[in-house]
Amino acid sequence: MTTLDRIRAMLVKDYKLDPGELTLDAQLEDLGLDSLGMAELVFDIEDKFGLCVPDTAVSLTTLGEVVGFIDDLIVARDRSGQTAQFMPLAMQDHGQHQSP
Amino acid sequence: MRRVAVTGIGVVSPIGHSPHDVFEAARRGHSGIHRLDMPGAGRLTAPLAATVQFDGAAHFEPPQQRLLDRVSQFAVVAARRAFTDAQCALTHPERERAGVFLGTGMGGTVSMDDGYQTLYGRQSDRIKPTLILQGMHNAPAAWIAQEHQLRGPTLTYSTACSSSSVAIGEAWLRLACGALDVAIAGGSEAPLSLGSLKAWEAMHTLAKQDQGDPATSCKPFSKNRSGMVLGEGAALVVLEPLDRALARGAAIHGEIIGYGLTTDVGHITRPSGEGQAAAIRAALASAGLSAAQVDSINAHGTGTQANDSVETSAIKLVFGSRANRVLISATKSVHGHLLGAAGALECVLSLLALRNNVALPTMHLQEPDPQCDLDYVPNRARPGAAGQTMLSHSFAFGGTNAVLALRAAG
Repeated sequence: MTTLDRIRAMLVKDYKLDPGELTLDAQLEDLGLDSLGMAELVFDIEDKFGLCVPDTAVSLTTLGEVVGFIDDLIVARDRSGQTAQFMPLAMQDHGQHQSP
Repeated sequence: MRRVAVTGIGVVSPIGHSPHDVFEAARRGHSGIHRLDMPGAGRLTAPLAATVQFDGAAHFEPPQQRLLDRVSQFAVVAARRAFTDAQCALTHPERERAGVFLGTGMGGTVSMDDGYQTLYGRQSDRIKPTLILQGMHNAPAAWIAQEHQLRGPTLTYSTACSSSSVAIGEAWLRLACGALDVAIAGGSEAPLSLGSLKAWEAMHTLAKQDQGDPATSCKPFSKNRSGMVLGEGAALVVLEPLDRALARGAAIHGEIIGYGLTTDVGHITRPSGEGQAAAIRAALASAGLSAAQVDSINAHGTGTQANDSVETSAIKLVFGSRANRVLISATKSVHGHLLGAAGALECVLSLLALRNNVALPTMHLQEPDPQCDLDYVPNRARPGAAGQTMLSHSFAFGGTNAVLALRAAG
């Protein structure tokens, strides 16, 4: 299953979008994916692909650009040899979460 | 001041999903309280609640449902039902002068509890990007305004247990003075997260489970009362000037004729009979009523030791020797305490009691309490007894006392 196939499946199931609309050149705005919708989609992609999408400004306007962006992250992840997993908070900053 | 009619009722409640069903359940004393079956319920001393049978997926597409906490889902569905009941199609200019007035005590507490479970329980940082929108207190009102394109004020009131009586009262004021032409007002609450239940339990306000029948655990005004039972749900009413309602031939459920609002400033939880009496008097004054003109009352009647005796004393302060001739119904005995939605559901039940002229019973009142010695319509509805004019009481932690005055249609 390609990245496009997987993202399309998510958009059909969870966002109730028409599969026919989900072409590589489809504009995210036309699909109803505004900034809030994209925040949700990125969150779901992180879960399903085991990725950590960096919190940096990336301008994505089409579905194809999203697919390309995710594929780049997958390549980078695999090259680094790390299995992407979300580190539990306790491992990131031991005990810090207790306060205030 | 303009007269204000209630032309639409929408409910999502533990005792039914239509005006007919909630009225019949209250009239027959069919309790919506039961043993609570949810993860963690075993950690509660008395796992009791009045829950709503509700499938959000039947009402919302997944993309919207993910943004709505249970409290917003209840509110939006109740608003749809209220507008359908009112058969009130608004023009674009009318929508500019239409507003939403919604009470909620705890907002999106189920979603927030889930977020904290992720953060502290599972020690994960995977907080959903929708959590703020689910949790914020003004979400229910905002979703109603969006769905019905109501462009006037969209206001959220959070005065604990009186939130939705305040919401209806504040809407009434704006309609009565001509600032607004249509309002949808009421409350919504979905407080049944484990965190919230444990917090209420820690305050020692919740009822013990009745050993014979859990459904009878809330016993307002009874000597063996042991506390309140939390409930969930929403109740909303469509309000409009009586003239407008008559002109369009709308069915009228009743009228809001007055609203009293006072604050107890002595203690954060302990109710004040004087403060409650002042709110009742303020409601009478705003309605232009004398105490002699009140036929019946839907009491705050939570089933806690403190509330029920203090509320009784407040009624005596206002009505004097006539107090025992005013019929008092505590319907929380069957629908539980919906906190920020309680006043609205009780306002709805009061309007239906007036419309059907039936005094609703205070259920599970088996042991008279010498400190609660008025006529609470114990255990059996009284047909032909509700009269023409009713008050609906809501008294809150924080001290906000709200009383609505209601009159039968016609």
